[in-house]
Amino acid sequence: MKLVRATNSRLVFEMGHREQRSLPQILKLYPCVPPAHHVFSKSDRLPDREGNQQLLDEAMAEQRAENKKQVQALLTDPRKFEHTEAGARLSLSLAEVEWLMQVLNDIRVGSWVILGSPDQKPAELTSANAAHFLAMEMAGYFQMQLLEALGGET
Amino acid sequence: MDSKFRLLDKRGGFFYVGVMAETATPQIQPGIVQTTEDKPKSGLEPGYLVICWNDPVNFMDYVTHVFQTVFGWPRKKAEFHMLQVHEQGKSVLARESLEKAEHYVHQLQKYTLHATMERDE
Repeated sequence: MKLVRATNSRLVFEMGHREQRSLPQILKLYPCVPPAHHVFSKSDRLPDREGNQQLLDEAMAEQRAENKKQVQALLTDPRKFEHTEAGARLSLSLAEVEWLMQVLNDIRVGSWVILGSPDQKPAELTSANAAHFLAMEMAGYFQMQLLEALGGET
Repeated sequence: MDSKFRLLDKRGGFFYVGVMAETATPQIQPGIVQTTEDKPKSGLEPGYLVICWNDPVNFMDYVTHVFQTVFGWPRKKAEFHMLQVHEQGKSVLARESLEKAEHYVHQLQKYTLHATMERDE
């Protein structure tokens, strides 16, 4: 996946056939981060800590629902993925790039949580952890492509 | 596929080795007084700290980008705090009123960063 065109408001990426197949598969995993992962405070010295935690939980739930709708819309919008000989062209506004990075990072972090939040790469890939490891790495791969493309903009 | 994984490894994140080519050492120019990032503490108003904690999964470049986006910081400042998170385990990103600190924590968590709000003692 590489950036082929950038304007003030849009970025166009060219994707190979493999990427064209794998991006939707990865995005279908959203949301991945378990709700309990979002902790508002580590201390109990905040006023109304439970209330604040509840507000955060609600905000995250709302965002998850909205993002899920947007993921669905992205995957079913024929204008987004223009088929080419090499694979496909994906055209995104800057806001969509920012949003997609959040979604991909949720999949990356969520897969990592499912793997047991390890500090290191799993020593051995098994049938139980391989899919999550692959999802984590692929989400990270697409995330980095978007980040690099934004690098010229920020 | 394997080559992509190796490529990712070089960029920091899960199995990161340093991704930044240079350190974000603050530059002090003559005639310019360097101020601290946080507002001065007030005896009247309790402050709330927005803290970002280290984790081995978020890419360093991604964390820098999020700090720039959420706080509107220039890249150098964002990198400085990202490196502080990476090397010291955490970084205090802001000292704010309850409402503002809460807003920042929500924003950072939307990006799946490990950010919390703590009372400034």
